[in-house]
Amino acid sequence: MPRHIKIGLIAMGIGLAVAMGFFVNIVGRVQSMMKNDREIEENPFKAPQPLYAPTDPPVAVKLFFPAASGEPLLTAEDEKIFKSGELANRAKQILQKLQEGPHSESMFPSLPKDTKVQDLFISEQGIAFINFSNTVALNHPGGVLNELATVYSIVDSLTYNLPEIKEVKILIGGVEKETLAGHCLLLLPLSMDLSLTNVVPREEKTASLR
Amino acid sequence: MGLPYTDSVALETLTIRSGSNQLVVTKNSALISYNGQIILLPSPIVREDNRWLAPVEFLTTGLSRMTPIEFRYRSGTSRLFVGNIEAPELEMNAQTLGPITRLTLRSAIPINVGVKREDPTKAILSLNVSPLDPARERIDHRDRLLHSVVFDDSDGDSKIVLDITREVSDLRITPADNNRIFFVDLLRKGEPVTAAPATEAPATTAAKPDSVAPDRRVRVVVIDPGHGGMDSGAKTSAGIEKDLTLALARRLRTVLQMRLGTTVLLTRDADIALDNEARSAVANNNQANLFISLHIGYSGNKMESTSSIFIMKEGFGETVSQTSAGNQLFLPWYLGYRTHRQGSAAAATMLQEELIKQISGWKFAIRTAPLAVLGSATMPSLLFEIGNLNNNVNAQTLADNGFQARLVNTMVDAIQRFSESPQAAAN
Repeated sequence: MPRHIKIGLIAMGIGLAVAMGFFVNIVGRVQSMMKNDREIEENPFKAPQPLYAPTDPPVAVKLFFPAASGEPLLTAEDEKIFKSGELANRAKQILQKLQEGPHSESMFPSLPKDTKVQDLFISEQGIAFINFSNTVALNHPGGVLNELATVYSIVDSLTYNLPEIKEVKILIGGVEKETLAGHCLLLLPLSMDLSLTNVVPREEKTASLR
Repeated sequence: MGLPYTDSVALETLTIRSGSNQLVVTKNSALISYNGQIILLPSPIVREDNRWLAPVEFLTTGLSRMTPIEFRYRSGTSRLFVGNIEAPELEMNAQTLGPITRLTLRSAIPINVGVKREDPTKAILSLNVSPLDPARERIDHRDRLLHSVVFDDSDGDSKIVLDITREVSDLRITPADNNRIFFVDLLRKGEPVTAAPATEAPATTAAKPDSVAPDRRVRVVVIDPGHGGMDSGAKTSAGIEKDLTLALARRLRTVLQMRLGTTVLLTRDADIALDNEARSAVANNNQANLFISLHIGYSGNKMESTSSIFIMKEGFGETVSQTSAGNQLFLPWYLGYRTHRQGSAAAATMLQEELIKQISGWKFAIRTAPLAVLGSATMPSLLFEIGNLNNNVNAQTLADNGFQARLVNTMVDAIQRFSESPQAAAN
C-alpha cells in the first residue's frame, strides 16, 4: 500500500473517531438536558424524594370514588400502597392513587383534571393539611353532589386507611378557601363520613364479628 | 288601673304595689325592679314636670306583671293593644311585577276591601274590620306607579292610604284564599290588562276550596338562585346553571305570591355574582321563615338523573363550638344553621314527599352536607339541586316551560304544607 494512502486512512480513522465521540457526547448532552428540564418541571426546588423504600411491604387500602350508579355516592376500590415509615408519605401515595383515578368502569374519577398535591403535612392532633393546586377548583365541573363526592373521596380515603389521620383540612393554592368550588365548606377540617359510601365503619364491622 | 303607688321625690323612685308584689322604677334608669328581680328596658325612665315617662316596653314587660290586663305591642309600630282585644293580623307587601305594581294584603280572617280614588295621586282602600293588627304600618315601595302604602285607623276605621302616581290608570282588586288575601294591582295607562303577568291565576286559586282556615306560619320566603355573574355554575351545551336557577326562582316567586300571598325575596334578580354569606344574609336580614337555595346538578355520568334536597350536615362544627365556648368570645358564624336544623329536616321531607308524588320518573334524595350557603342561615333552610345538566334528556326537560311550571307548583304545595305544620311554628 502506498504510504500516502496509509496516512489518508489513519487520518480518516482519527476523524471518524472524533466525529463519533462528538456525536455520542451531543446525544448525551441532549439527554441530560431533557432530563434536567423534566426535573425542573416536576419540582423546581428539590429533587423528588421516593414515597417508599424498596423494602417497604405492600398494604391493602380502599379508595373511594364516585359510583356510576349514583347510590351510594362513593364506592370503594381495593388498591395497594407501600407501608412507608412516614405517615405523610403513605397519605401522599393514597392521594397519588386518587389522582390516577379508578380502574373499575363502574366508578368515575373524583379529582378534576390536572389536580396536583402541592404539599401535605399532618399535625400532632391528627389533622392532615393538604394543599392542592388551584386546578382542583378551576377545573371542577360543578354540581353540589359532585363537589361533595370530590371532597369526601379525599377525606374518606385518607381517614379510613390511615386511622392516625382524624380530620382533613383542604387548602387550595396555598390558602384557606371558604369552599372547594362554591358549595362545600372547607373552613373547618372534615372528618370521615362513611354514610356516603358502601363501606361499613371499622368499629361496627368488628362489633358485628363478635 | 287603681294600683296603689308611692312617688318618692327624695328617693327619685316610683313604687307600684299590687297585693304582695312590688315594682320599683328609678329616675333616669333603664333598670326596673319587680320583687327584687331586675328587668332591663330599652331606654331609661325619666321624670319631667312631675310625670314619669317610660318606654312602651314598661307596660309589656313591667306593668303587665302587676295587673291582669294584657298589653300587646309590636315594635316598630305606633300601636299598643290593651286588654283582651281580638285584632286580626294584617300583612302588606308591595312588588313591581313588570308593567304593574302589586300590593298584597293578607289578613288572618276573611275581610272585605273597597277602593276609592280620591284624587289622581291618592287612593284609599277601606277594610271592613276594625281593629286590625298590621305587621307593618308603612311600606315605602318607590316605583313608577307607587310611592308609599300607609295603614291608618286613627278615626276608628281601618284603611290603607296609597300614595300613587298619575301614571296609574286603574286599580284592580282580586280576592283569593276565601277573602283572606287580596291582590291590589295598579295598572299603568295604555297597558292592556292582559299584559299583567299572572293576574288571572289568583282567581283560579281563589276558587280552590280551602275548607279549614290554616294558620300559615311561613310569611317571608327567601329564594336563592345559585351562582351568577362570572360564576356560571355547571355549564354544558344544553344550558348554564346560573340562568336556569334564576328562571326557576322567578317562577317560584310568582307562584308563591299568587297562591299563598307570601312575601318572596330573591337573593339576586339579575345576572350578578354574590358570595355565600351575602345570600344567607338576605334571609337573615329579612327575618325569612324559609330559605331555599336553587341549584342544577352536574354529574360525570351522563346517564345520571338524581336530584338532591340538601340540609346542613348534623353536628357540623360541633367540636369547634364545644372547645370555643369556654375560651373564645366568638363562635364561627356558619353555625347559625343549628338553631333550626329540625325545621330544615321537616321542610326537606315535605318537599321530597310532594316531589315524589307529583314528578314521576325523577329521583329525589334527601342528603346532608357541609354547605356554605346553609351554614349561616338562621331559619329552616335547604338547598335543592335539580337534575343533571350533563344528561341531555334532563337538561331539555329542565328548560321546558311546562316542566318548570309543574316543578314550581309542586314546590309551592310543599311550602304550603310546611307553612301549616308545627315545625314551621317552632321558628
